[in-house]
Amino acid sequence: MTKIDPKTIRPTVIASRKSCDAEGTGLSHYVLMDKQVKR
Amino acid sequence: MSLTAEVTGGAAVAALPDGLDWFDIGHPDYTALIDADTAFWSLVRRDQTETVIADGALVQQWRDKRQSFAEEMDMLRFHLKPSAVYFNPTERCNLDCAYCYIPREMRKGGQQMSRETLLDAMARLDAYFARTLPPGRKPQIIFHGAEPMLAREAMFAAIDQYQDRFRFGVQTNATLLDDEAVAFLTRRGCGIGLSLDAPVPAVADRSRKRWNGDSVFESTLAAIERLRGYPGFNVICTMNRENVDQLTAMVEFLHEREVPACMLNFVRCTLQGGRDSWVEDATVAQAFTAALDRTHQLYRETGRKLVVANFANILISILAPTARRLMCDISPCGGGRSFFALVPDGTLFPCSEFIGLPEFAGGNLFRDQIEDVLETVPFKKVSERKVEDIAKCAICPVRHFCGSPCPAEAHEANGGMTQIGAYCDAYLEQARYAFRLIADGVENDFLWDGWDEGTETTFAFGAC
Repeated sequence: MTKIDPKTIRPTVIASRKSCDAEGTGLSHYVLMDKQVKR
Repeated sequence: MSLTAEVTGGAAVAALPDGLDWFDIGHPDYTALIDADTAFWSLVRRDQTETVIADGALVQQWRDKRQSFAEEMDMLRFHLKPSAVYFNPTERCNLDCAYCYIPREMRKGGQQMSRETLLDAMARLDAYFARTLPPGRKPQIIFHGAEPMLAREAMFAAIDQYQDRFRFGVQTNATLLDDEAVAFLTRRGCGIGLSLDAPVPAVADRSRKRWNGDSVFESTLAAIERLRGYPGFNVICTMNRENVDQLTAMVEFLHEREVPACMLNFVRCTLQGGRDSWVEDATVAQAFTAALDRTHQLYRETGRKLVVANFANILISILAPTARRLMCDISPCGGGRSFFALVPDGTLFPCSEFIGLPEFAGGNLFRDQIEDVLETVPFKKVSERKVEDIAKCAICPVRHFCGSPCPAEAHEANGGMTQIGAYCDAYLEQARYAFRLIADGVENDFLWDGWDEGTETTFAFGAC
């Protein structure tokens, strides 16, 4: 992966989680990623 | 040695409360602390593990949230309703790709829906989703195949008639995607997926070609050019033994042509053709992560992303489990519970991967209620397959960031639903790679902008 600036200070612990209403619908035979194509 | 011991890498780490495991992500500074059942994770500096555990604050916050995270995963895993259909309007295809999951005899001369039949199917699906989805939420129809553009006239009639009721996508080999078709689909905001396996015809033609062996590389390339600038456009590249050394060149090729998203999919070993195209885990994992590295470099150099959607979904499964869009990497998978597949005679399968396996036919759209089909034995065999029942997965820390795909593959190639599929070690490496990106703070570089719109932060522990 692209090298990260060693001067960047990273925390002792990294932990996060986000949540939303689950709408998972797809399988990996088709890119179903964006919620709506912007026209 | 247990899998848990393997994945910790033998690092000197602090003892843990029940429910938490260390997981070595191969990062020089961080190791992961995971509660596999709830998909909780944290990254802890390797030289601070004992201090962090002894301090107790992280463990206490995890305990405080554990029940709500468990409920979230339970909802995601067991209480979704279908909202998408993989709609095969034809069994026929004008190509003979080596690894296709649809049997050869079907693709050569199978059935195809008439316009009337296709519109009848749409009316029945519309009625079903009206009964089951919340008001205002549009279900998705993905016309798939075989080659759906062989049924173009009927398919386009359905898109025109139902564009206010559904969101539409088309996955096509692009051979029939002419200017008129592109104009029709893009004006209506349809998603368009193409398939291409390599940046040069000499390699791409090994796996994807016409029945007479002729190349389709140039026609796919022409379609990519026609679609340049369209945001709802993507390319699927199936990683297999013929192209595994081309993946980095492939992402360069796609990025140069301003393709906004792609998938680098592991070839599925459900049918013999797929098994013949299988590539060894370590080899494909190395090539896959090298290609991901290259997409990152290209983004940093140009400011323009080529999102590798299947990997982005893994990152999201870690960062926001309920925000994932694809359901191959959670167990039970989405087959037969968040989507299902329809073939031209109306037969319903849990997923397209099962179309070549008649024992997994659950009913018929033209004769049965979909609600009843979802409860049939063939559908339940898929929709009840979970990692807790698979010995190797039951002790794996990343079981909810992998999902042990694919049930069709496990059933056909490895002997049953309680077996793993192919690529177990590659998926483990994929999870490690994703965590390393998070450790380096670059995860958003691999995701499309605005991926977390509509989410709220439910856990944050980042004090220095």
